[in-house]
Amino acid sequence: MRTEDLIARLSEGLAPVRRVAPPMLAALGWLALALGVVGLGVASSGFRHDIDGRLMLMHEQLNLMAALLTGATSAIAAFHLALPDRSTRWALLPAPFALFWVSGLGWGCVEEFMAQGWPVISTSFACMGFILGFGVPLTLAMLWMTRHAAPIRPTPVAALAGLSAAAVASVGLSLVHHLDAAVMVLIWHGGSVLLVMLLARRWGAKAMRAVGP
Amino acid sequence: MSACALAAGAWGVSGAATDARSAQELRWGMLMAATQGGDARAYNTLLREVTPRIRSLCRNRIRDLAEVEDAVQDSLMTLHALRHTYDPARPFGPWITTIATRRAIDRLRRHGRTAGRESNINDLPESAAAVAPVAEAQMDARIEAQTLRDAVAALPESQRTALRLAKLEDLPLAEASARSGMSVGALKVATHRAIHTLRRHFGQAGKDDSRAD
Repeated sequence: MRTEDLIARLSEGLAPVRRVAPPMLAALGWLALALGVVGLGVASSGFRHDIDGRLMLMHEQLNLMAALLTGATSAIAAFHLALPDRSTRWALLPAPFALFWVSGLGWGCVEEFMAQGWPVISTSFACMGFILGFGVPLTLAMLWMTRHAAPIRPTPVAALAGLSAAAVASVGLSLVHHLDAAVMVLIWHGGSVLLVMLLARRWGAKAMRAVGP
Repeated sequence: MSACALAAGAWGVSGAATDARSAQELRWGMLMAATQGGDARAYNTLLREVTPRIRSLCRNRIRDLAEVEDAVQDSLMTLHALRHTYDPARPFGPWITTIATRRAIDRLRRHGRTAGRESNINDLPESAAAVAPVAEAQMDARIEAQTLRDAVAALPESQRTALRLAKLEDLPLAEASARSGMSVGALKVATHRAIHTLRRHFGQAGKDDSRAD
């Protein structure tokens, strides 16, 4: 087909379109949804028995804040990056918060090792189940909201969606599940968040294309 | 004219070009806003005006002109699919640049993958073009062998026997002498004459060939 003919065909019978919501607004909307869903999960599971004491600990507060900020900034970055005219540097927005979060958990591991020696490492599939159970559907919700990114940059948007959803789920998990050892938190929280992010990175683009423009 | 005046002139030209470009992008932004409202005429004008810019962006990355045109058409279709993602409050340039660049890169990747799977049929060992030189060489060798056999057959009996025993079977002169019944001296003379005759024959043919050229 000649380009001239394509132009004529595209402009023929043009229908009005509704603009996508501004990225900040869309991110806030998704965050409200995510916090609501995870909040319901926390309410239905009940807080961990030592919640009052844990929330008084400085490092616990910092870890929770870092996880929440990682989730929030990843969502903001994903919604910006989904638009063609936004800089790819938006992808770096959650990096400092994610680094702070991981390094905080890592530092906790070092402190525990110095004080108590090798920690006891066990499996905690309940942690992984919580993060996957909330993280995957919330990732899918964000992929649907950012589906217009499919023809432009689907993979980084999908990875950020996975990171955001899993980080928010991890905050909920910290309020529900009793897991004291920092190394366990690093392995099961961090590992599950990484898993959701990698799943989103691997399959997100395909999911977006399936529902995208 | 002084260097300062020249610099000012150059700045003036580039400044004017930038202004013209900004004015053009402003116009395209307005046309796009009208497009989002369903104005088909504005959309047709926009696509016609923006196509040369898209073509130039694609040509920056792709050399093959047919591929460039395919990338232009891909870009126009993506522009159509993503027209709801343009924010009229923002410049139009980065929006269209990302779309065109993305489609050009996709074309290059697709072309790279196809080029990796395809190869010139004339380069394949089974193809007639590839087989022809081999067949020709074999035919030449066969003709040369026949010519040599004819030339050997035309030699006198004693020279032919001497040549076969002394040169082709590579026997020691004493054994060749015993088998042929010729003296060693006669054998040497007959071999020498046979080679001389053949050399003259082929040398003459070579001269004839070069004369024909």
